Amino acid sequence: MTALTQADGTPRIVLTTLNAGFSSRRLIRITGWVGGCVLTMLLALAFFPNLIAPYDSTKRVALPLQKPGKEFLLGTNDIGQDLMSELITGTRASLFTGLIVSFISVVIGTVVGIVSGYAGGWVDSLLMSLTDLILVLPFIPLVILISVYLGPSQRNVILVLAIFFWAAPARLVRSRVLSLRTETYIEAARALGANSFHIMTNHLWSGVKSLALVQIVLIASASILAESSLSFLGLGDPSGKSWGTMLYFARASGAFMSAAWKWWVLPTGLMITLTVLSLGLIGYSLEQRIANSVS
Amino acid sequence: MTKNLARRAIEFGITFFLAISINFLLPRLVPGDPLALIAGNAAPQLGRARIDALRAQYGLDKPLGEQYLIYLGNLARGDLGQSYRYSGGKSVVEVLGENFRWTLLIVGLSLTSSLLIGSALGIWSATKRGSSLDLGLLSGFYFLRAIPPFWLAMLLIPVFAIQLGWLPAGDSYSIPRLEGWENVKDVARHALLPVVVLTLAYLPTAFVIMRAAMFGIMETDYIRTARAKGVPNIWVVLKHAFRNALLPVLTAFMLDLGQLLGGVTVIEAVFNYRGIGNMMFEAVKSRDYPLLQGGFLLFTITILILNIITELLYPLLDPRVQRATI
Repeated sequence: MTALTQADGTPRIVLTTLNAGFSSRRLIRITGWVGGCVLTMLLALAFFPNLIAPYDSTKRVALPLQKPGKEFLLGTNDIGQDLMSELITGTRASLFTGLIVSFISVVIGTVVGIVSGYAGGWVDSLLMSLTDLILVLPFIPLVILISVYLGPSQRNVILVLAIFFWAAPARLVRSRVLSLRTETYIEAARALGANSFHIMTNHLWSGVKSLALVQIVLIASASILAESSLSFLGLGDPSGKSWGTMLYFARASGAFMSAAWKWWVLPTGLMITLTVLSLGLIGYSLEQRIANSVS
Repeated sequence: MTKNLARRAIEFGITFFLAISINFLLPRLVPGDPLALIAGNAAPQLGRARIDALRAQYGLDKPLGEQYLIYLGNLARGDLGQSYRYSGGKSVVEVLGENFRWTLLIVGLSLTSSLLIGSALGIWSATKRGSSLDLGLLSGFYFLRAIPPFWLAMLLIPVFAIQLGWLPAGDSYSIPRLEGWENVKDVARHALLPVVVLTLAYLPTAFVIMRAAMFGIMETDYIRTARAKGVPNIWVVLKHAFRNALLPVLTAFMLDLGQLLGGVTVIEAVFNYRGIGNMMFEAVKSRDYPLLQGGFLLFTITILILNIITELLYPLLDPRVQRATI
C-alpha cells in the first residue's frame, strides 16, 4: 500500500495531471478550440450514426475482407460488414462508455474526497486506505477477473471501470479540501453555526467544482483508453460495436497480419487516439484557464 | 526507523490480506452457484450424487468462514489449486512459475528503459521550461499518451514482422529452442517488439512526473543560491536538483505501478508472449478460474514487493527520511 504521508508526516503529492507551465493564453485557447471542435464532430457521429454511416453496420453488405474501393471506403470485415460504417457506429459505445464511467467516478470521488478531507480522523484514514488499495491493485488483471465472473457486457465494463477510476479524483479533491478547510470563509461559516452537511455541500463543493469538472474530462479520456483495452481482450459486449471490439475481431480473424491492417486496424486506432487526445486537450485547456483565473 | 518500518509492514500486510480476500470472495459473491463455474456447461449432466461429491471436493458444502480458513491454509502452503486447462494436472503455482519469468523480463527492461529515457528527457525539458523544445517534447508525450499501446503493437507486427520480416511476430522463443548464445539472441529478438511498445507506453508517465518534480525544485532558494555562487548549470541540475527530484519521482511512479504493470497483460496477448498476462488472457477463454485468480494474486504481490523495495530505498536516496523517524 502506498502511504498517505511521507515518513516525515507531510502529505505526498500525487502528480496525475500535466503541470505544463505554459501560461500563454493563446496556446491554451487554441488547444481548447481544437479539442472542442474534434469532440463536437465525434459527438455528432455518436448521436446520429445512422445519418452519417453509408451502410447498416450490423448487416452483411458485401463479400468478406474486401479491399477499400468506391463502394466501401475502408473495405469490409471478415463477415462482410462495411468497416467505415462500423467505425462510425462504434463512436457511440466508445465515447458514451467513457463519459458515463468518468461521470460516475468523479461523483463518487468528489463525495469521498470532500467527506474524507473535511471529517479527518479515522474516517479520513479509512477512506484514504481504501483509495490507496484501489490505486495499488493491478488494474487490468483485476478487471479481467471481475469481468470474467460478471460476464461480458457493456454495463459490466462500465461498472468495473468506475470501481477503479474514482480513486484518483478522490485523492485530488481531498487534498484541495484539506487546504480549503483552513480558509477563513469556512471558519466563518462554522462560527455562524452552519452544520457540516451545509459546509460540505455548499462551501467546499463550490471550492472543488472546477477541479471536478477537469477530472471528468481527463478521466473520460483515460476510461476510453481502458474500455478499448477491455473490449480488445474480448471482455466487452461481443455483439456491440465499439472500436475495441473492432480491433478484437481484426486480431481474432488474423486480418491484422495481412494488408488489411492498413484499412481495418489503422483507422480504428486513430479514432481512439483522436478521441482521447481531444478530451485531453480540453482538459488541459480548462485546467490552465482555471489556474490562470485563480492567480 | 524501526517504528516506521513496522507501521509500513502492517500497511503492506493489510493490503496483501485484502487482495487475497478479494480473490476468495469474488467467485462466491457472483450470483449463481460457484460449482456451475467450475463444472461449466457439463453441470446439468453430472447428476445429483456427482455434484454433491464435487461440492465436497472443493469444500463448497462447508460454511463460508470455514471455507475461508481452508483457503488461507492452502495459500500458506503455497497451494493455489489445480489449473483446469492442463488436464494432466498442473498446479496453478507450476504454471505461474513457468510464465512469470517472461513477464519479469519484458517488464523489467521496459520499466528501466522508460525511467532512464523519460527522466532524462523530463530533466532536459524542465531546464528549458517554456522553450520550443519543452513544448515539442510535452506535446509529443501528450500525443503518445493518447495512443492505445495494444494498437501500436498491432501496427508494429505487420510492418516489422510480416512485411519487413526483421523480427518474429510473436511468442517468446523459436520452436525448437536454440542452444546457448543463439538462444539468448533468439529470446532478445522475440522480446524486442514487446519491450519497445511497453517502453513507449511507460515513457509519458516517467517524463511527466520527472518534469513536474524538477519544476518545483528548480524554483527553490537553494538552486538559486547554487547558481548565484557560480556553480555550472549542468552541475546544478544533476547534483543539486536531480537528487532531490528522485524521491517524489519514485513515489509517484510507484503510485502508477498498478496501472502500468497491469497494462502488460494486453501487450502480451497481442504478441502471444508467454507471460502471466497472456496466460490470464488464455485462461479467460477456457474459463480457468484458479489460474486467473493466481495470476491476479501474483501481479498484486509483485507490485507490493516493488513498493517495499522503494520504501527501503528512501533512506538511501534521502537521508532526511531516516533522521526524521529515528
